[in-house]
Amino acid sequence: MKTKFVQLSTEEKSVLARLKASLALHMVEEASAADAGLQKICPSGGVSMKFSIRGAGPALGLQMPKISQILPAPPGRPSLLLFFPNTEAAVRVLSGAKGAVIPVPLGANAFRALDFFRKASSRATELLRAPDTSEATRARLLLAATLYGLEAIAGESYLERRMQIVPDGVVGVRAGELAFRVAKRGRTIHVQRDAQPEDTSPGDVLPEDAPPAAAIGSLRPDALLSFAGYRSAIDVLSGKRQAVIALGSGEVHIEGLLPLVQGLFAVLDRLSWYLGVEV
Amino acid sequence: MNEMTDETSGAAGSPSFSGRSADTTGSRFTASMAYFERAARVIPGGIYGSKSPGFLVPGHFPYYLSHARGSRIYDVDGNEFIDYLCGYGSQIVGYGNSAVDGPALEQARKGDLLNQPHPAMVELAERLVGLVDGMDWAVFVKNGTDATTLATSIARADTGKQVIIAAEGAYHGAANWCSTNVFPVFLQAEQRDIRFFPYNDVQALEKLFETERGNIACLILTPYHHPTYKPQQLPTPEFTAAVERLCRAEGAYFIVDDIRANFRLDIHGSHKFFGVHPDLIAMGKALANGYPISVLLGTDGLRKTASSFFITGTYWMSAVPMIAALATLDEMERMGGTARLASLGQMLKDGLESLGLEAGFRARVSGPLAIPYLTFDEDPDLYLNQRFCAAMADRGVFMHPHHNWFISLAHTEEDIAQTLEAARSAFAELSSSLATERP
Repeated sequence: MKTKFVQLSTEEKSVLARLKASLALHMVEEASAADAGLQKICPSGGVSMKFSIRGAGPALGLQMPKISQILPAPPGRPSLLLFFPNTEAAVRVLSGAKGAVIPVPLGANAFRALDFFRKASSRATELLRAPDTSEATRARLLLAATLYGLEAIAGESYLERRMQIVPDGVVGVRAGELAFRVAKRGRTIHVQRDAQPEDTSPGDVLPEDAPPAAAIGSLRPDALLSFAGYRSAIDVLSGKRQAVIALGSGEVHIEGLLPLVQGLFAVLDRLSWYLGVEV
Repeated sequence: MNEMTDETSGAAGSPSFSGRSADTTGSRFTASMAYFERAARVIPGGIYGSKSPGFLVPGHFPYYLSHARGSRIYDVDGNEFIDYLCGYGSQIVGYGNSAVDGPALEQARKGDLLNQPHPAMVELAERLVGLVDGMDWAVFVKNGTDATTLATSIARADTGKQVIIAAEGAYHGAANWCSTNVFPVFLQAEQRDIRFFPYNDVQALEKLFETERGNIACLILTPYHHPTYKPQQLPTPEFTAAVERLCRAEGAYFIVDDIRANFRLDIHGSHKFFGVHPDLIAMGKALANGYPISVLLGTDGLRKTASSFFITGTYWMSAVPMIAALATLDEMERMGGTARLASLGQMLKDGLESLGLEAGFRARVSGPLAIPYLTFDEDPDLYLNQRFCAAMADRGVFMHPHHNWFISLAHTEEDIAQTLEAARSAFAELSSSLATERP
């Protein structure tokens, strides 16, 4: 049964708004890393922007230097702030509908950053849908959306008991050359791409209370969740292939601390529910 | 497939964990997989609950079994395994044991589910009350969940108190009050008054009794701790003493959930084995060697409350499982009982631990001898368990990687010897693959 936005509790509205914001920022980040066209139009000084949503907790930020740069994202004041007056506005705008959003320029290239963000958002959607998108790119976008989605909703009270009984630990997630780490600690989930030589990651989307990346990266995975390849990841994450069948056939493989992975599956169910909310 | 290397596991002494190659080409489990694909279209999850493929190691274990005999199970692809799961403990005198199946099938031909109970119900109640230490009455149900739910309900009704205390990680069934279905709607209702403490932790238990003083209806415990995914723990004498002292002082009932272990440790009940004195005992699984029946046994103090309960279920008084239970009790004794189970379990434990050590692993068998579970001290995340059990399954031995195992009276010394031969080879494979994977 589909739930409408107006039926959500105040907390659920807040969680959904943060989820949409997080996914929008991460999709821009992932699309930019995967698409040469976007890399060309990225402002020379990079993109530094924040989403501030009234009623949805701390701001979410995207710090993305020019793709060719290897330097980490510069900290500090963003060049652009997108302010949403309420959670409904954020959910509507970030779902592609009309809604109130106030761009607040804070730096010299604010409007170039906004323009880039709009183009990158559209491109991310195109990449997911276009038949000629490579399997690696499509898998990357779907995997990032799924994992960062978990991160965005983990702290909500609906999941409190679930998160209590799921053991803490780190899950390594693999599909082809893609590698992520998902760290579950108490009521929080943090996602990090595994550092790899071929990683062209342009930056990081960070909630303001995120732990240092090194704290996650230094841990050995307690469990591994691996897809047989990009196609398996795409089929499962897009719902074309039932996860249980993929698991049973070995296309999806879990090992190590199973209750940790299974616990995250339950959070995934909740993520699906959020993504099904009608705006 | 899934050949991957974990580049971060370089800590001294800790193994490197690479992906295991699963037999997903289907050569060994073609029929199993075909059934599973069909199942997933019409059954949520394909196979739900504890029998779900994800709970095993996909590619190395069958999903569907066709038949069994003695200590052996056979899958739909014709693969044979020495079975150490025993129908999750329900088989104690062996699959297809004619001493049990003979009278049971005879009763099936005469009529199983009748309007009124069969006299076997009286005979079985008398037998159990005489056999199980300290118990005065019996009520028959079907599943363990039925028995534990009835036990806690009776305790609540009798005391007029709500709170149920249980150990963290303990399994008492699939009802909403005790399951891992932790949806908020249940947390606010059926799970609202359930409290947990770490098993064997006397201080934590004392603190909980102090915090909840005046509200505690009962404490429910398995006779020893057999959580999933972890080594098993036997109760310390200090802990069992504290349990009885605290329950007495609070006026709370002590329930032993003996569903899984019953009759494998002591024919008079696992509580006798550990020297404790519960007010209510739930038993099932091995009670009728796989026929569907469980029982709640209680002391005289709770007879009146139990009598005031409306206890019923369509199949709860069916005759065949009761006939099977009576025959199983006889057969257990004839086949050597708990002493025989312990002897076989000792052989398996000693062999596995010794072979593990020879191969360089700190493999440890925990729990009672008749209900063993192997874990690797160096790997609490169970990667090694999964790989060892997968290797054993490849060699025709069904040992669950995440759930405790069971010895049955149908196992033989030859079965154990064959198992240990397979284990020698499995440990060697594990050791060799880890050596290859280490940088």
